[in-house]
Amino acid sequence: MKQKFRWMLLPLMVLSISFSYGQEKKVSGTVTDQSNLPLPGVSVIVVGTTNGTQTDFDGNYSITVEQGGELRFSYIGQKTVIRSVGAGSVVNVQMEEDAQALEEVVVTGYTSQRRSDITGSIVEVDSDKLSQIIAPSVDQALQGNVSGLTVSATSGTPGSTANIRIRGISSITAGNEPLYVIDGVPVSNGNVGASGAYSSLSSLAGLDNNNIKSITVLKDASATAQYGARGSNGVILITTKRGREGNTVFEVNSSYGFQRDAITGPVPLTAANRLELAAEAYFNDGITATKQEAIDALLAGSFADWDAAGRPEAHWDRAVRNDAASVQQHSISASGGGEDHTFFASLGYMNQEGTVVGPSFERISGAVNFSKDLTSNLTFSSNNSASHSLQNAFLETSAYFESPRSAKFFLSPLNLPYNADGSYNLFGGSLPNPLYLMDNNIYENRLTRILSNNSLNWQLTDNLSYGTVFNVDYQGYNYRNYSNRNYGYGEPTSGDAEQFDRTNVFYVFQNFFDYKLKLSDNHIFDFKVLQEYQSNRRYFLGGSGQNFADDGLYYLDNVGTPNSVSSSFTDFYIASYMGLAKYSAFDGKYVLDLSYRREGNSRFSQTNRWGNFWSVGAAWNIFKEDFLANSNVVNNLKLRGSYGVTGNANIGLNLYQSLFGFDADYGGEGAQFVDTFGNQDLSWETSNTLDVGVDFALFNNFVSGSAAYFSRTSKDLLLNVPLSQTTGFASQYQNIGELTNKGVEVDLNFNIVDTEDVQFSLGGNFATVENEVTELPLDPNGVERTITTTTTRIETGHPVREWYMPTWAGVNPETGAEEWYVNGVDGETTANFNEAEAVFQGSNAVPTFTAGLNFNFKYKNFFINANGYYAGGHKIYEGWHLYLNQSNAYPILAYNGYTSLLDRWQQPGDIARNGAFTTGATPWQRNSKYLYDGDFIRLRALTVGFDLPRSATDRIGINSMRFFVRGNNLLTWVKDDNLLFDPEVDVDSQGGDVTPGETGLETPPARTIAVGVNLSF
Amino acid sequence: MKINKYAMLFAAAMALIVTSCTTEDLDPTLAQSKSVEGSVTRVDNLYSILKGAHNTLTGAGYYGRDMIATNEVRSDNTFSNGNSGRFTTQSQFQYNSNTGFVWDNVYALLADVNIIINTDLSTLEGDLDYGAHIQGQAMVLRALGHFDLLRTYGQQHAGGGSLGVPIVTTFKGEDLFPSRNSIDEVKQAIYSDLETAFEMMDSSYDTSKIFVSKYVAKALEARVAVYFGDWGRAVSASEAVINSGLYSVIGADAFVSSWTTEGGTNVMFELAFSTADNRGPDALGYIYRYPADAPGGYGDIQVLPEVLDIYDADDVRLDIFGYQDGGTALRNIGKYPDTANGADNIPLFRYEEVILNYAEALLETGGDAVTQLNLIANNRNATPYTSVTKDDILNERRRELIFEGFRFDDMMRTGQSATAVGSVGNVISTLSYPNNLFAWPIPLSEMNANSNMVQNEGY
Repeated sequence: MKQKFRWMLLPLMVLSISFSYGQEKKVSGTVTDQSNLPLPGVSVIVVGTTNGTQTDFDGNYSITVEQGGELRFSYIGQKTVIRSVGAGSVVNVQMEEDAQALEEVVVTGYTSQRRSDITGSIVEVDSDKLSQIIAPSVDQALQGNVSGLTVSATSGTPGSTANIRIRGISSITAGNEPLYVIDGVPVSNGNVGASGAYSSLSSLAGLDNNNIKSITVLKDASATAQYGARGSNGVILITTKRGREGNTVFEVNSSYGFQRDAITGPVPLTAANRLELAAEAYFNDGITATKQEAIDALLAGSFADWDAAGRPEAHWDRAVRNDAASVQQHSISASGGGEDHTFFASLGYMNQEGTVVGPSFERISGAVNFSKDLTSNLTFSSNNSASHSLQNAFLETSAYFESPRSAKFFLSPLNLPYNADGSYNLFGGSLPNPLYLMDNNIYENRLTRILSNNSLNWQLTDNLSYGTVFNVDYQGYNYRNYSNRNYGYGEPTSGDAEQFDRTNVFYVFQNFFDYKLKLSDNHIFDFKVLQEYQSNRRYFLGGSGQNFADDGLYYLDNVGTPNSVSSSFTDFYIASYMGLAKYSAFDGKYVLDLSYRREGNSRFSQTNRWGNFWSVGAAWNIFKEDFLANSNVVNNLKLRGSYGVTGNANIGLNLYQSLFGFDADYGGEGAQFVDTFGNQDLSWETSNTLDVGVDFALFNNFVSGSAAYFSRTSKDLLLNVPLSQTTGFASQYQNIGELTNKGVEVDLNFNIVDTEDVQFSLGGNFATVENEVTELPLDPNGVERTITTTTTRIETGHPVREWYMPTWAGVNPETGAEEWYVNGVDGETTANFNEAEAVFQGSNAVPTFTAGLNFNFKYKNFFINANGYYAGGHKIYEGWHLYLNQSNAYPILAYNGYTSLLDRWQQPGDIARNGAFTTGATPWQRNSKYLYDGDFIRLRALTVGFDLPRSATDRIGINSMRFFVRGNNLLTWVKDDNLLFDPEVDVDSQGGDVTPGETGLETPPARTIAVGVNLSF
Repeated sequence: MKINKYAMLFAAAMALIVTSCTTEDLDPTLAQSKSVEGSVTRVDNLYSILKGAHNTLTGAGYYGRDMIATNEVRSDNTFSNGNSGRFTTQSQFQYNSNTGFVWDNVYALLADVNIIINTDLSTLEGDLDYGAHIQGQAMVLRALGHFDLLRTYGQQHAGGGSLGVPIVTTFKGEDLFPSRNSIDEVKQAIYSDLETAFEMMDSSYDTSKIFVSKYVAKALEARVAVYFGDWGRAVSASEAVINSGLYSVIGADAFVSSWTTEGGTNVMFELAFSTADNRGPDALGYIYRYPADAPGGYGDIQVLPEVLDIYDADDVRLDIFGYQDGGTALRNIGKYPDTANGADNIPLFRYEEVILNYAEALLETGGDAVTQLNLIANNRNATPYTSVTKDDILNERRRELIFEGFRFDDMMRTGQSATAVGSVGNVISTLSYPNNLFAWPIPLSEMNANSNMVQNEGY
């Protein structure tokens, strides 16, 4: 055999001899690891060229190379090997593990660190997990994957914003949004939509998920203090994909699916229900002597047409549904690189339709990340992405009469969607036919987002480097809306049109030095000093007009009556200086972290502009101690702790001065009025956070995880303190008040089976957070100035915005009246709402307990993974009950309600949930009847897939191919039977557009089923 | 050489770091705003703030709609059918301390007018006499604001109690947590402001009816005096307006069309609206009627059918009324008639009201009310009076001023009961006079922010 082989090689050898000087020849060989097993996927590159290949499944490679050339073999976790090519044509390589490199490196903000060196609470979510959720913006995929992090989307409308809260609420009226950082640079995020009435559009939706390598969530002070001033609410680091040295690898990811609302929601009353309930109301009010008399009168009156037409039902919930709402995303990327450069380039497309007629989201995006060593010690990197998104929005955030979501509940079932001939039924009334409006009106949000992050890194000496970064985040936003001239709210004015243009430009400059001081192998210091400057400018131009001469004209050029034109400019600036020091002793056995940041923000007056923030963190890697060095039980054990001060300046612009606004006119002339009360003393809100935790891996990594306790005290809150309105103002920002958040977070992962054929792991996390207000401002009489709304109150000793309202005592079986407890708790009841005392209802709208569960199973080439989420311990309020779910005139005469109303009092002795129907229109009486337990469980993602076996991929010449079927939000369990709306509600007011903690009429999340393929070649 | 290169880079970088940002560099741009301190330097600036104050009056929460509509639906003129869910709470007297009304709007107005009034004229450039006139105009608005607060929140019709509202005369003054002044204190403050204003103002500066003017001070004084039964003051204030000779009662032929035109001879002060500046769907006209005949838009306020009975058959004011929804819903068609845009000006002071106030004051003081009342009746094709009773005057006021927000106060000051009317026009209950519900509750937000504040009885 050997003999034969040699003879077979002879022609090759002849060839190689004949081209012996400078000519290319083919070299092959096998690459193995330390234990002599073949290593697939090793990058083999001819040094000094871009010529390269990879080893196959059996570790074999072959490559053409000049004699005398050098081959470089590199693989993650292995020391790189360079071999020169001599006369032989076989180069076999055994690689050696690189213990240093094998350890996972985590991006921690301005730096990257080995996992064992980290002293804070940091969670990394990789692209595999991120891709399990099909959504335009990547933040939604964090739900359930990070302990202590909750995501609440205001709306499931494609492209809408989601709220992320890390470890609860740290501020009452300043923002609670975490800071977003993309590739090391703080960026703006949130809603770019110009009108709070329409669907929101997340600027994060401008990023293609397929370009994101990982997201790191920083939770404690030692991790966030480097972003000090803005770190109080946690930091979300997004790292984009990079190329790797080696052959160009192409990846194609594609999926296509269909969606529906994840929950059925309340079922609207039918016209027949309505007739019965309305008649009952007339009878109850004594307007008719009997119920039958009322039915007869109604059938002769408003129900006559319906009766004559054979009593058809409108079923608006079905009429507005988009039955085949598709969602598709496609991306193709290429990545690779040579000895001195790497690149990653991608093109992406996403298209998602809404689950009701009208809304949709479409995005096209591209990215190029490029890095090149300009000289041996100078590296230039440029990460660029651009996208254009189009969102067809709708009037969504309140009960807008033109919204298809409102129509589902508010539209009378006596109005049929279509005429007999199939055309739209253009009925009158306050609520026009939304199907016609969605067809003929325009509500369009467009976002162009360009992110360009450019950096230069200069390795001055082995230990000292200098870097500079310039980042531009450009967000060009266009909005237009058109109400048609034929029907609906545009009709009286012969059509309305409105158009906005807004440009947000964010610059970030960073300059920094890194210095590594190695006193000895056992004492290593890392220092970083950094200067950062951020400028944010927003330019706005908008106009509106009405009266169009004809259909098909949408732009302001054609309006007969221009109504308004407006433009504005706003800006803010942030400057900071930061220093980081890390001391690592005895190969990371002991780690000490120090950080300090000084930051100035234009939101505060000159004397209060700067704030100082700092942190200390320490870690003890016990498993590196000698007594555990050879332990079979303990694979990883680390104790860590940190303490620090972080800040929050997340309030509106220009609030410290008393200001005249000029956004007024009278009699056609400009006018001014005081619009800002002002407070020159305004300064930073700060949080002191203590975090202690343990990271562990036991029994050969059978179980691994971490547990942490945190306590965060937020002081000098940027509190929007209510004023006596006799000042002309409702509130004023003051630095006053204190609140605490405490909690426990546990992450666990079990590798139950880990063999070549079968892999099964179960992961879970849970987190608790306990929130309490500990200090509020006092008024001159020493009375605490609580902040009370009709449903919530902020008071010391209670969680922020604990529900606070009269307590429902049920329906009086004798009178049919809804009653409340006079003292708010028990005993005497009253039917007079004004007599019922409002009391605390035990919790607020923020879950106090959250948990996530991951399930991963793999058998040979098949795999299943699932991801679920639980949130509980909170209560949420039904936002529109007055009009939809109360036994008064609204659901039966003016609008429509849902079938839960059928459970109502009809005669003495009845035990019913709802009181006797009346034709009267009761005012808002918010009470605990409509306050529900918020606990829910949701199966967020379930994926079943199949990887093409190696033998097949080799045959067709590709690296890998995966087919999968994926479901999102397939199951939802809600604890409270009376909670009919989606349980995931917004805990923030979104700048006042929605009421926090209340169910709304916004789109619920989508239940999606999609098929997809991932291909790499 | 190599050292030099590094040194230069290092120096450059350090220079960048050290010099890059100072505290001043972080000053925000005030592109749309100006600081209150130091930006009022010219009389023109006062005029600009005065326009801002008038603009506050035009808000839908104030005279743009709610002030007028709320009182109209609580009176025996109209009720809310709840078509868009609006004003049912008011029509049915169901409001509580969470039901918003004008409290915040009025005090926002006072913040601006107080800045005007408290500006030291000697520090300004420009025509200082005009400056004094503007300060007088601001004082009239302050008096109007205090009167609107008093008639809404004062305890005068709620069954005893002397609580009025806090008088506020400074912006960002010493006392940010005021308590309530008595009804009488507020009344005196109103009279005092109006008297001072009248003295400060020069009618040669009154060139436009969309701003309060010298004789509006007197018209308002007469209105307040009639409200409180200060008949002597009502007589003299009315006479001051009448004797100015600036205004006249509109004739019968022009009565209906006067609602579509601006600056009529009968108008003393009207709020400016236009196709470019209006309240859109929150406009007064939009709550009084549907955009088309069938129910649509808002159109919540419907007229009680018996209202028609108080008019003579030939009375030109009947042309204000009309029907919608297939002839079933009686409507205000003629006042604030622009439903699509809400571009009609809203008169707040008409000469006819001054005449009616004068007639009533004359009747109460033994003067010749008949002549005055016939100035109205004769110009409306109504039967002239030969003698006049208090009821005649109240009825004439109702006929003339219907839909303009006067009727509820007339009912109150004459001690009449009110009716809570349901959304189909059904009587829900009768509220006898006096009644806690006749005074609006102090907003809960005010109660929570200011422990010096005392809530009205019954809330």
